[in-house]
Amino acid sequence: MTAVQKDEAGRTAFSDYDYSNFYYGAGDDPLNLLGPFRDWYREALPNGYYLYSEPVTSAPTTRVSVKNRKTGQVQDLLNLASYNYLGISYRPEVKQAAIEAIERYGLGASGSPILSGTMDIHVALAEAMARFKAKDAAILFPTGYSANVGFISSLMRAGDNIILDQYSHASIVDGAILAKSKTVFFRHNNPMDLERKLLKCTGKKLVIVEGVYSMDGDVCQLPEIVEVCKRHGARILVDEAHSTFLFGPNGRGVAEHFGLDKEVDFHLGTFSKSLGGQGGFVCGSKDLVDYVNAFGRSRFFSCNLAPPVAAGLLAGVQIVENEPALRAKLWSNVAFLRRRFAEEGIDIGKSTSQVMPVLVNNDAKVFAVAEKIQERGLYLQPVTYPAVPKHKSRLRISVSAAHSEAELEEAVRVIGGVLRDEGIIA
Amino acid sequence: LKTQYGYADAISGFFEFPTDNARRILPPHLEPIELHHGTSIFSMVAFDFTESEVGPYGEVVMSVIVSPLVKAGERLPKSAFYPYLVGTTTKAARDHAIERWHLPHWMEDVAIEFHRDGPRIAAKVEVGGAAVAELSISDHSWNPVSHLYQSFMKDDEGAYLANIVMDAEQSEHEEETGRLVLHDHPFNRDLVISDVYEIPFRELWMRKGVQTFDPLIQLQTA
Repeated sequence: MTAVQKDEAGRTAFSDYDYSNFYYGAGDDPLNLLGPFRDWYREALPNGYYLYSEPVTSAPTTRVSVKNRKTGQVQDLLNLASYNYLGISYRPEVKQAAIEAIERYGLGASGSPILSGTMDIHVALAEAMARFKAKDAAILFPTGYSANVGFISSLMRAGDNIILDQYSHASIVDGAILAKSKTVFFRHNNPMDLERKLLKCTGKKLVIVEGVYSMDGDVCQLPEIVEVCKRHGARILVDEAHSTFLFGPNGRGVAEHFGLDKEVDFHLGTFSKSLGGQGGFVCGSKDLVDYVNAFGRSRFFSCNLAPPVAAGLLAGVQIVENEPALRAKLWSNVAFLRRRFAEEGIDIGKSTSQVMPVLVNNDAKVFAVAEKIQERGLYLQPVTYPAVPKHKSRLRISVSAAHSEAELEEAVRVIGGVLRDEGIIA
Repeated sequence: LKTQYGYADAISGFFEFPTDNARRILPPHLEPIELHHGTSIFSMVAFDFTESEVGPYGEVVMSVIVSPLVKAGERLPKSAFYPYLVGTTTKAARDHAIERWHLPHWMEDVAIEFHRDGPRIAAKVEVGGAAVAELSISDHSWNPVSHLYQSFMKDDEGAYLANIVMDAEQSEHEEETGRLVLHDHPFNRDLVISDVYEIPFRELWMRKGVQTFDPLIQLQTA
């Protein structure tokens, strides 16, 4: 007998359960959930969950080699899953910078950034980011996750208020938890609900939104949200993980796109999305950076970014500054794909960015759809409950400036074909 | 040894409300499930029972969603809840549920009126002519299900667990089409009404179903 077993009518379905069923378990032993989860996962894995964490055996260019976890076969697939929105991570000058850095510095920083782990390459990257974002200073974090966790918890305390969009990234939520502040969620991208929540808050208030939301690809309603924040004396942090280097006349992000660069108090972002690297950053005043340097525990108690990564990122920032045509190509690709999806009747919801959810809206079929799409040569992952609401399952596409129109056309043909075969679209 | 109840409709709305409120309701041995950090789940269920040992009746159940009791080798529950207040339309149903399941009850008859209108259904609850709550939800796709739920109870005599299997046609979705109106009435005194989000993040409708209770289990608690 297993925990996920047949009911009295003999029905069994791994799809009756999902990750959310294995998060809480009563009893005294923290290992209580391992057995039930193992039994479920054993059934879930061959039924679609193998599509997650498949080893990629090549650089994340527009075509990748992927080892299928079910068959063990390595497939050459058109890549629609990697971030790398500007196709920068494998550019020759980026790789060369990383190679030179590894020759000069070796593998790692070998220390915390506040002790021995700050190298001149880190200083140069932070200065480049401050310049790029037109701020006084910038501070680096080892990952985007640690940037949110470290920054939020460095600034906010027990008794303070953190007001989050309900679709906030886990790193933002975890930052709020670590800060021990009162945490309130407002309805996604809804300034009116934000105002309702702010009306109930007294004391220090920090509102956190994202420039582009990673599951729906929709853009933050920043003008209205900034207006509400100003009215209620709340500080505002914009996580531009999916928008830095892409949005705005200079690529600084959604805040620049809306002309609100100076109205936003804190600018946070990552290097793992548009640049395809690793790390996070916060830009602001020198006083802010000095304070976060002293109190940002996720940074303070981590090793600094590996020098080859920092060097590659620095080269990447220079490419973004020198080649605005990359952004233009990305937005041209986004427009092309949006038009072609619309022509084929493929629903991408409220996306207006390079993150496009292909809505399957059928939790029972999404894995079968994703499997067939991979069999026909595309690399992308299904997203289902609890990552998105029930019946809102989807395939998440990341468009890159590196994609050719022919590749995007191939994607439309395959996705449209499978969705039609499965009865998802007419 | 099992107890069965047949129902025409069982409609549920699941609502975000503060974990502080959930903890005030729950006994110390139960842990609220959080939808987000600091946000727990309040549920209201309205049953239209058509068959039972005490005849047909209506029932409204106000609950907090809690951690299930998961044991290796046993069937995994879909979810677990702590019903902190139940209202029934008949005294016989109330006496039966208190005696057999130790469920905490509103000790007067409540009136529950169901309104069915195509894909929507609503339940209006009143006590002595005073409005208590109105829950409305809509349907999505319908599928036959057989799901195990756990209900935790606590009274002066002890703490209990009831394993309940719900066999029914089920529609479940998160389209945010439903609505809850909670009135300022003593029935709702355990809730800070303004902190309960009025739109359910999940709407669950079971119809033409059977609710089967296993014998009650007494729990050891500190």
